[in-house]
This record gives sequence, structure tokens and C-alpha cells, in this order.
Amino acid sequence: MLHLLSTSDDRVRRAHAARSTTRTLTTKHTAASALIAAAMFGGLLESGTVLAEPIGFLETVHRHTTLINTVPDNGDQNPYAIAIAPVSVGQVKEGDVLVDNFNNSSNLQGTGSTIIDYHPDTKQMTLFATLPRELKDCPGGIGLSTAMTMLKSGWVIIGSTPSNDGTADTKGAGCLVVLDNQGKVVSTFVSPSINDPWGNMAVVDNGSTATLFVSNAGFGVGSARGAHPVVNEANVLRLDLDIPEGKPPVIKRETVIGSGFGAQADKGVFLIGPTGLALSADNKLLYVSDAIGNQITVIDDPLTRDTSAGTGRQLTAAGLLRRPLAMTTAPNGHLLVTNALNGQVVEIDPQNGKQLYARWIDADRAQTPPGNGDLFGILMTPQGDGFYYVEDDVNTLVLAK
Amino acid sequence: MTLASHTRCLRDVPSRRRFAWSTVLLWSVLFSQVSFAAPPPEDVPEGTEEDLHIQAEPIGPWTGLWTRQNLLGDMGGLRPWLGKYGVSLNINETSEYLANLRGGLARGGAYDGLTTMTLDVDTEKAFGLPGGTFNVSGLQIHGSNLSEEKLGTYNTASGIEAQPSTRLWELWYQQALLNKRVDIKIGQQSLDQEFMVSQYGLTFINTMFGWPGVPSYDMPNGGPAYPLSALGVRVRGQITSSLTALAGVFDGDPLGNDPNNLSGTNFNLHNSALFIGELQYAINQPAEGDMDVGKSQGGLPGTYKIGVWYNSGQFNDQQFDNMGVSLASPASTGVPQQHHGNYSFYAVADQMIWRPNPDQPRSIGVFARVMGAPGDRNLVSVSANAGIVMKAPFKGRDNDSVGLGLTFIQIGSHARGLDADSGDVVRGSETAVEATYQYQVTPWWQLQADMQYTFNAGAGQNPNDPTQALRNTFVIGVRTNITF
Repeated sequence: MLHLLSTSDDRVRRAHAARSTTRTLTTKHTAASALIAAAMFGGLLESGTVLAEPIGFLETVHRHTTLINTVPDNGDQNPYAIAIAPVSVGQVKEGDVLVDNFNNSSNLQGTGSTIIDYHPDTKQMTLFATLPRELKDCPGGIGLSTAMTMLKSGWVIIGSTPSNDGTADTKGAGCLVVLDNQGKVVSTFVSPSINDPWGNMAVVDNGSTATLFVSNAGFGVGSARGAHPVVNEANVLRLDLDIPEGKPPVIKRETVIGSGFGAQADKGVFLIGPTGLALSADNKLLYVSDAIGNQITVIDDPLTRDTSAGTGRQLTAAGLLRRPLAMTTAPNGHLLVTNALNGQVVEIDPQNGKQLYARWIDADRAQTPPGNGDLFGILMTPQGDGFYYVEDDVNTLVLAK
Repeated sequence: MTLASHTRCLRDVPSRRRFAWSTVLLWSVLFSQVSFAAPPPEDVPEGTEEDLHIQAEPIGPWTGLWTRQNLLGDMGGLRPWLGKYGVSLNINETSEYLANLRGGLARGGAYDGLTTMTLDVDTEKAFGLPGGTFNVSGLQIHGSNLSEEKLGTYNTASGIEAQPSTRLWELWYQQALLNKRVDIKIGQQSLDQEFMVSQYGLTFINTMFGWPGVPSYDMPNGGPAYPLSALGVRVRGQITSSLTALAGVFDGDPLGNDPNNLSGTNFNLHNSALFIGELQYAINQPAEGDMDVGKSQGGLPGTYKIGVWYNSGQFNDQQFDNMGVSLASPASTGVPQQHHGNYSFYAVADQMIWRPNPDQPRSIGVFARVMGAPGDRNLVSVSANAGIVMKAPFKGRDNDSVGLGLTFIQIGSHARGLDADSGDVVRGSETAVEATYQYQVTPWWQLQADMQYTFNAGAGQNPNDPTQALRNTFVIGVRTNITF
């Protein structure tokens, strides 16, 4: 979502004209001696909120630790997607966290072109890739979205939802880009069924083959100016990939398995559309977060179906959901979904569709409601003891565990 | 998250007419070409063909000018270069033209402006020290001072009016501890950035909605607040998720050692000490880690603050000399009676009262702030503000605000007594009413129209001739605010 800079105009408003008719005389007390007193002050600490009997995952989280500022040297901003390296290959180590940026250094949306690599062992960050922003094979160029994954074969596949001016007015259809383990572009996937691959990917990775699920939210959304109606043409696309030994993945088959999701251009957040995808443990269900519909839906037999399920069955709607975005699956099988319109992540039991509760993972009061528009990517740690997420207003990667 | 750094959310994107027309032309050309060439197949969703033909264009210095956050974007690479070292640079210009249409000292207008430049260093990014922030800011104050030259009011018309100068403002280091539950800030600080702040009050232009009347008139040289600051230490602790405490001790007189220093480099530690403490209670405002089981919906956010300050200096009585005789009397020694110390209590409330849809920016909030100080040693014994602010008053104007505010100043009893002893017009209280509209032109550009009417200006007394009354003033003006 749109990254926000703090403005110094508030300082101005707090300003005042110094005007006083009073003068102090000298005194024995000096400010210096009084500094010590202030240093004695300390706040009492409140222990974290813990409910009596854990009924879900979120209440077991102890703390939120800001790991890094995700801005690379070229100044790209607005971290979106998170992917965790499943293997050590090239410059990437297993367990590394890849984060892409949606905005460039002028904070224009749909123009970010970098992927950074956070190394949990050294707590350092390096630059994994800088894609050519004007990549000719990708309609509209590069603006890296929430669709990103790294395969066991070491290839990174990432979505582009590009813009020429930072708004949806000039957005291109984008593409999926394949990068090698050095971060070099090796190929692009462009197709009539791909238009602004937007949401986080769900992946079944068998090494020499893989199946990707990605939502496309760009069909017909047009400009964000004036009336910008909801267009019910967003899809969920399944891509069956062949990955020949030593060669980049190629699409064996593409199938639209979900369609008719609402999407909308937006002045503030560029695009609103289906964003989160997560598979059930047995891969027989695909959960979709439908941002416009403010619901989570289920598509049956996602790996095998050859027709569209439409928007699928409704699992749960409204309640704690506030325009659901990215989604990940906790070790207990529950879905964790970030909200666009506040700083909460919502836990849902997919067995019964019950929303257990939500946790504030971004309570930034600079936004109303707090954390509004900050959250996007979320992903469980490989150990399953916590989750990574981005706070895109302050360009940080955070670990909750 | 400091109050000073993340206070506003500029989320909307404004009108961009010039750009819009060129885009409309471009799109109409594209659409016509595509639709006549070949209609898309039925199973391909609408809009695909057009999008597939969009080509990436180079991003230049003016790309996205009307939608980006800063006028100068990445400053030709300067911002990312600084960012590599954890440095962020903010430059802001506020300019205004205010005109007095009636009453006061004189009719007529005045331009004044303020350039603020702030450098922040994130020490983690800079050299791996987590939780540290270094901040330095400077001010360039230009133009003339309407309130002083033409109004003669106590509720001065604009918060940026000050003596023209180029000066250091703040210079401090802050360290967060205990997972950000406590932070300590050391150095040259301007207290108006953190203490006594009413968020809704910041909508208004009149000075007294910012740093209020009591500290402005009763603290030596107006206290450590714009355009001044003072050396000191401030500790902030989050006691519970909704209760925050601030306590600080600062030098009590920012200009005490050299009132003629206009460069902001007094670094005074000699005259007196200013102790200040504030408790802030937030309602319906979650903290990180709070669980929501769905029952807390609907409560509207508010913040309530109480505070106290004490200055350890000696303060002149406003009426009597050291023999207890009125300073107006010919028999007076002319040496004012001394009071040890000075103090004030204050309370601030900001409360949202109406929000038809929690997911929309439209809302109405009210605020009130009141404070008092002893009337024997202070020119102002009571000051208060109140008002109402509506955000997003019109459809599609998400970042506009409209507000109506009232600010009040009561002259202290001894100052009034001296007026009476001197045969001057006895001052009472002064009240100003302000109506304002903030229009967000682009995320980096704001225009603000403003009207202020002041009752009993100068609390009724002409400052140039205390035996004469001062007519009520009526000021109109416009302010522009640009984030570079």
C-alpha cells in the first residue's frame, strides 16, 4: 500500500511565536543538577496479553521484533511480498527471507524493482536482485507485487504490477518474472490470463515440477480518478510448471480456477483485489482472500480442476475482516490473514470458518484506524514458531513469535 | 513512534488536472486503436488487451509529480544516498499572508514564512545501534509579524510568527529501550513537540492552539518551544498499553544567558530548571500485541492528558514591589517582589465523537485544553482552547479538514491590579474564534484558508497606549504548506 512519509508541517503547527514579558532571575538550582532526577524516572512495564487457554496461534505470540529497514541502496520503498528460501543456492541460504519493494525511491507505486535478502543468522540484509524497470518483455515494465516465491530448484518467480506514474491510471498488465539464484532475469510469463499478478502465491513444489497459484487483479480496472467502479473480472490462475534440470521453469499448462472476483483501482493503495492465497494441508482446498468482498472463499480441488469455480464457496465474511490481504497457514492449520484497513491479523479456523480473534500487529496511530494500509505480506517462519510480516509505511520487516 | 514524527496520514491523491488531460488523450487514442483492431476473445476478461500494450516509460524527475509524497521526489538521488547511511531529510516551507480587516493596532496585511529542515539519523541503519535516533533541525524564519505590528492581541494570529532569523532548532539523541517501552531523549529540545499537544488543535493557525497561552506568556522567554529549545532530558514510558508517562527536566530559560543570540546556540544551563511531567491516557486505541475478540468495535478513539510543570527560578510579582507597594505608586522602590518558583497544571482532551464508517476517513473530533498558573507572578493566569474538527468533510476530499476553534486568555489578577493602580484600561480576558479549511492539493502541498475574530483584543488595552482600548480584530488569510 501507499507508503507514508511523516511530514514536518505538524512541527510548524505546534510552533508558536515566542513572546514573553517574564524573566527569571538567577537561582541556586541549575538545570544540570536536575537532569539526574529525570534519569531516575522509569516506566512500569506491562506484560503481554495472554489468554487462559490457547485456542489458536496468535495468542501464543510473545513479541514483535523489528528486524530490518528494508530500503535497499537505490531507495526503493514499500515492502510487499515475503518469500522464504527453501534451499541454499547461489547467494541465498535456506531460511533467508526475500522481500520485494513495490515503490521506487520517489515512493511511486508500481515502480519498485528490488528484492532484498534478510539473513536471519547474521541479521544482515543484502540486495538479492534489481530488475530492469523498463523490462521490455513485461507489459508496462516492473513494479514488484505481493506475488513472489522461491522454488526448491532455486528459481525465484515474482509478479509485476507496473505503473508509469505511480498510479493505476498508467498501469500495464505486468507479468511473472523468473529470476535465477543470482537474481538475474531469465524469462517472463505473459498471457491473456495474467493481468497484474497481485496477491501472494500458493505453491506446491515437487522439484522438477511445481504448481503456482496466483491472483490477477488488473483486468479492466482502469483509472482511479473519478468514479472507479468495482470490476468483477479478477481471477485465480493455476500455473503448472515444468522445471527441467538446470533450466528455468516453463509453463506446461495454465488454468483459470477462480474468476469473477472484484477488483478496483484506488487512489491511495493503487489496486484492491483478491490478494491472499493459501492451500490446505492436503492441498485439496485453496483459500482466497477476497478484499473487495471482505470475505475468505474456498476453491475445491485446486490442483486438479480444469474449470473455474467462480469466486468459490464462502468460508467466512466480515466480522473481524477489514479488507483481507495476504494469508498464511499456522502450524495448527488455521489461516492468518492481514487486514488492509487496520493493523490486525485475523485467525480463522478453516474447519468451521470461525474467526477466533485478531491481533494488532501494527498499532501505528499515524493512521486511522491504526495500521490502516500498512500490512501486506505475511509468512510463517520455517520452524512454524512465528511469522514474518512487513509494515510498509515504515519500510520494515518484523518477526512476531 | 514519536508524536513528532508520525502524526499525520497523507493518504489521498489529489486532483491532477494538467496531467489528467494528457492521460485522457493518450488513453482515448489507445482505446480507439485497440477496439477497432480486433475485439478480444470472449473468455479473455475486458481490459487485458489495452494493458498488454502499455510500455514502460522511463521515470524522470517529474514523474508522478502530482501524486508523490514530496515535491522533489528522491531529490535526484540525494534521498536514497542519505538513506544508505540511515539519514532522512525533510524540508518544509510554510508561507502565509494574513490581513487585519478591522480593529487592532492597524489595518493591513503581512507575509511571513518558515522553512524547516530536519535531519534524522537511524543509528541502526547508520552503525548498527538499534533503537537510536539522532535529530537536528534548523529554522529559517522570514517575513513580518502581523500580530506584533498590526493586531496587538494576546492570542497571536499565527504559530509561525517569530523574529526573522536562521537558527538551530532542535538537536537531540533518543534511545529506545526495553522493546520500545521506554525511551530517553537527551539534548536541545522544543517542548511543544511532545507536551500539551492537542492533535485536533493542530489544525488551526492561531499560535495558542499550538504552544498555549500560559507557557507562552509565563515561562521565561516563552519557554523551550518554537523557535526556541532548551537542553534537557526527557523520559517516556509506556506504563500500560493505554497509559504513557512523560517526564523531563530542561533548562528553565532558553535565552537566559544571551537574549541576543539569534542562532539558537545558547545551550543555556545556568538560570533555572524546568520540570515537566505528563500522563497520557488513550481510549479505544490499540497497542501492538493487543488481542481483539470482536467485542471492542465501535468505540471512538480519544486521548486525555494531564500535566504539570514547575520552574525553579525567581519570578517578579506583576503588581507589588519588594516593600509590598504597588509598582505603579510613586513611593515604590521599583524592585518587584520576588516569588520563588512558578508552576502550572494543565489538561488536554482530544476525542473523536462521530465516524459513520470506521473504514472511512470522515469523522468529527472535539478538543479542549485548559491550564492555569498563579496570578500574582504571571501575566496570564488561565488559558484555554476548545474546538471541533471535521476530517474529509466532502466526498473525495479525504485529507481535507474543516475546523472551528476558540482560544481564551485570562490576564492574571496582579497584572490587572497594576492596570488599575496605573490608571490604565484594566485588562480582562481575550477570546479569539478561528474558522479554517485545510485543502490538500497534492500529498506534498496544502492550502489553508483562515478567518479569526478576536474579542476584547489585547484584553481590551492598546499595548502602545495602555490608557486606550483596542478594537476587536478580524483577520483573514491563506497559508500554504509544501513538503519538499
